[in-house]
Amino acid sequence: MGEHKLIMGKDIYFWNFIILMFFTLFEVGAVFFEKYPGTNTRVSVYVVWGILIVVGIIKGFGIGAFFMHLWDDPKIYLRVALFPTLFVLLMLWGIGLSNPEGVNGLPGWCTPDWGEQYATER
Amino acid sequence: MSGGGHSDVKNAIWMRALLMAGIILGLGVASYVGLGVVVAGMKETTWDEEADHFHDAEKDWKDAVAAGTIESDDTSAELYIAKEAAHHHEIDAHLSYLTYRVAGLTMLFVSIIFTAFLVISGVLNSAQPDDEHHDDHHGHEEHHGSASPIIFAFGCMLFLIGFPDFADGLHSLMLGSGSDAISDLSVGMIGLTIITIGIANWWREDLPFKGYGEQIATSDPFAGQHIRKAGIWVFLMSEVMVFATFFSSYLRMRTEWCTKWAFDEGTCTLEDGETLAMTASDYLRPGGAAGTGDFWTLLPGAINTFALIISSYTIVLALKVAKSHDYKVPTGFMGKLMPDKKSAIRNYLIITLALGTMFIVLKLVEWSHLIAEGFTVGSQEGSIFYISTGAHGVHVFAGLLIMLYMIFKADTVEWDEDNAQGIEYFGLYWHFVDLAWVVIFPAFYLY
Repeated sequence: MGEHKLIMGKDIYFWNFIILMFFTLFEVGAVFFEKYPGTNTRVSVYVVWGILIVVGIIKGFGIGAFFMHLWDDPKIYLRVALFPTLFVLLMLWGIGLSNPEGVNGLPGWCTPDWGEQYATER
Repeated sequence: MSGGGHSDVKNAIWMRALLMAGIILGLGVASYVGLGVVVAGMKETTWDEEADHFHDAEKDWKDAVAAGTIESDDTSAELYIAKEAAHHHEIDAHLSYLTYRVAGLTMLFVSIIFTAFLVISGVLNSAQPDDEHHDDHHGHEEHHGSASPIIFAFGCMLFLIGFPDFADGLHSLMLGSGSDAISDLSVGMIGLTIITIGIANWWREDLPFKGYGEQIATSDPFAGQHIRKAGIWVFLMSEVMVFATFFSSYLRMRTEWCTKWAFDEGTCTLEDGETLAMTASDYLRPGGAAGTGDFWTLLPGAINTFALIISSYTIVLALKVAKSHDYKVPTGFMGKLMPDKKSAIRNYLIITLALGTMFIVLKLVEWSHLIAEGFTVGSQEGSIFYISTGAHGVHVFAGLLIMLYMIFKADTVEWDEDNAQGIEYFGLYWHFVDLAWVVIFPAFYLY
């Protein structure tokens, strides 16, 4: 387990903890910047999404892989942990399809290319 | 306290548990008296004074408008500025009062539950005839069947049936007007009591189990794995689905709300009479649309995020010490705090308990502020926020009760590499709670 791997005299749990704390600090600190530091350019919502998702993935990986031992444990546990991902993806797909934007606001490659008209008029 | 010689738990350990219950209750009462009565009383006086100032300032402004000396829409008028400043001071004083009042009440409430949990377990143990104390399964070193999960599930059902009224009662309590709170809380409290009894009975039944001799699964897909570990992972994945449901509901609604953020990005427009949708982050985040967010409003959520990460680390340290062959006593203060392996495990768990309790207290303080500012469960935005963060808070609280058991068991079991699974499996649950917060915090507080 993680306590047997030492980096600079400290085990993997310690470094994982430090990385989690750093990224949380970064995540919280970033909220205080509405504009890019030193510029007058507003931080776009997509950049905010990007930061939050990337930081979330890093933190989730750190907790799952090292604190929950998925990195070292038999792979069956990793498969169990990833199993709900299928349903989460289905949910996200459902969100896309059930959103009004899903009809004509999504890119053409993932829709039947409705154009502006999606209801058949008689 | 214990039933006698056949019990696997020594009297001294039960007495220590009761002593711990007394200390917890004492801390709860002291917190309530100190924070919820004395400090909150002073803050209430300040709030009353600020309210009087505001009413005076408002009266002066209205008189001036009526006399025609200033226009009602003149926001640069001195009286208008004074009125608005007084209003802000009154709101600040109100929120300050709520902080101490809710913190004190929550500490008292949590300490009563913790104490009840410890005492009920002690009473259940001591009420048994001596011959029933003997652990028949001790020789087999394996877990046995139990009715406790059914009692626990029944309690959960009652609690959920009474939950709508329970939420109303809690709401009244938070606003300091608790006249109907008792009747509103009753069904939920009965459910909680049955849950407590179920867990306490579970505790009593599990105490003799020393943790050796894990049952091994013999069929696929978990062949060769510990059955309890496979069970906790399957349970956690069902929990992932619960939180995924909340989260996808939130995302689905969020994509339709015309928030300030969406409005500024040009992804939505407002028709005549429509207003921007206000999410929790609009109240909490600096620059949020409600105009109330700053460093201090985000602070409780941020502290809670750090608290959960630290608590994830302390539970890992407890497991690490439990599995260690040669415990090295740390130097300095930590050495005094953790002079031997047993106390090190127990104290790491106590630190985790304290951090989790702080999480609950800060969460309810934050909720009280949001409710006072008008962000209630009555709106779609409020409903999904309170349900998601509330469900997470319930998981934290359930974890704290299990932690109490783990702390108690730290005194009864000599944990080593072969029997520390209890900490490991509980740790998996606690890390999951942390993981859920990793998603909830940015989604509800920062975005």
